[in-house]
Amino acid sequence: MRAVQDVSFEVRDREFVAIVGPSGCGKSTILNMIGGLVSPTAGRIEIDGRPVAGVPPGVGYVFQKDTVFPWRTVRRNIALGLEYRGVRGPELERRVREAIALAGLEGFEDAYPATLSGGMRQRVALMRTLVVDPGILLMDEPFGALDTHTKLNLHAELLALWGAKRQTVVFVTHDLSEAITLADRVVVMTRRPGRIKLIHEVALPRPRDVITVRETDAYAREYGEIWHVLGEEFRAPAAAGAPGAAATGEGRRR
Amino acid sequence: MSRWPERGVVTAWRLAIFVALIGAWEVLTRIKAVSRTPGFYWLDPFFISRPSQILRRFAYLASDQVRLSIWDMALSTVQSTLWGFVVGVSTGFVAGLVLGRNDRLARILEPYIVAFNSLPRIALVPLITMIFGFGLLAKVVLAWTIVFFIVFFNTFQGARSVDADLIHSARFLGAGERHIMATVIVPSTLAWTFASLTPSISFALIGVVVGEFLGGESGGGLGYLIIQSLGTLNAADMMVALIALGVIGIVLALGIKQVEMRLLRWRPEHRGRT
Repeated sequence: MRAVQDVSFEVRDREFVAIVGPSGCGKSTILNMIGGLVSPTAGRIEIDGRPVAGVPPGVGYVFQKDTVFPWRTVRRNIALGLEYRGVRGPELERRVREAIALAGLEGFEDAYPATLSGGMRQRVALMRTLVVDPGILLMDEPFGALDTHTKLNLHAELLALWGAKRQTVVFVTHDLSEAITLADRVVVMTRRPGRIKLIHEVALPRPRDVITVRETDAYAREYGEIWHVLGEEFRAPAAAGAPGAAATGEGRRR
Repeated sequence: MSRWPERGVVTAWRLAIFVALIGAWEVLTRIKAVSRTPGFYWLDPFFISRPSQILRRFAYLASDQVRLSIWDMALSTVQSTLWGFVVGVSTGFVAGLVLGRNDRLARILEPYIVAFNSLPRIALVPLITMIFGFGLLAKVVLAWTIVFFIVFFNTFQGARSVDADLIHSARFLGAGERHIMATVIVPSTLAWTFASLTPSISFALIGVVVGEFLGGESGGGLGYLIIQSLGTLNAADMMVALIALGVIGIVLALGIKQVEMRLLRWRPEHRGRT
């Protein structure tokens, strides 16, 4: 079964791109291809002009699923990436402490993930990824399982962190308001096999306040324009099977 | 409803039942069912002895009047059990980890593993005795053949069910194959291995006692005391050995449980139960 077809887009350096679409449209597949977890059957993925083969260096990935290691405390989870890179001693201590402070996880350093809420666990996962300074950040519905309040808090934190370091971000979500709040551009996908339906430039000034931005007319206009297109995908009945045409999915990044 | 705390009530009942059972045992083995007919008791002390007699025999066996005291025998049994446990757990873990992460090797070896595991281990006792003699080694080997498979199967299952997303996320954090083994696969698998430790220690004890049945005096141990008592039709000594084995079994299992709780303290179901 073909997950995506004729998908071609480019992500600029330091840009925040969100991919939205109905479930099963292949959003995550695109992310997994960029991350080298899945290789495309046709077409190519490039990062800085180099084709992706296997997990590329300098890329961080935040999964939808809880991937915090349950047998490690918060501190030791955040230290993972640094340990893998051979960072030891006071240097490790310092960077982990900074990351914990940045994530507002002070007081939970020695807690095991099972004692934390879903929001805090995702915060650990995010900081664990950011502590090694990835240039590119792939996020697969990282806040999908959280309640609205926690989600908004994490949006604000993510924007603040991103504002400071300006990683190149590809953020997959099915939540359009999340996509508009966070991203510079929104890529709208069709139902399976997913194609690109629309690439929309979000004309909202930064820095954005994740709560008040939703009250603005500009936000409403953006939402209306994208929803007009995305809504069709939710309404139309599911097509049976993929069309016979051969596909060359082509993706380029940066 | 009750003025007494729940725990107190439970403990009181337990004690009452214990006293009642021991009392009944003592009394019923003293009252004759048919008066003046010798050897015709409600409960025949010939088969099950009686508490006072067992205590007397225990005091005797624990004194230095005997060549091989009950303490020596208990020590020998515990020592062999722990050796069998340690050797079985470590080899079972390594084998389970290697085969669990190597599909082809697992498929090649599967029929051999299944065949050997289906063999009733007790049937091996004479052969093991023939090869390893009557001493400590034979008992350890027997315990090992049992413990190995318990730990092996658990570890194998654990090594196969490592969450692929955890491996992926480690890879994105920059982990090499060695890192993934050390920080994802081993800790994740250990959770399964630890769960097999409590049954393992109990089965190690079973293996050792069976080994001692055949081991003779040089092997020592409580199993030897049981067989010796059978030879002399001495129910009191047998009861002493059984009670000692029960105590040893409980203490070992509780000790391992403590270790397991400590090692798995990150698991939600283990928290607050220490």
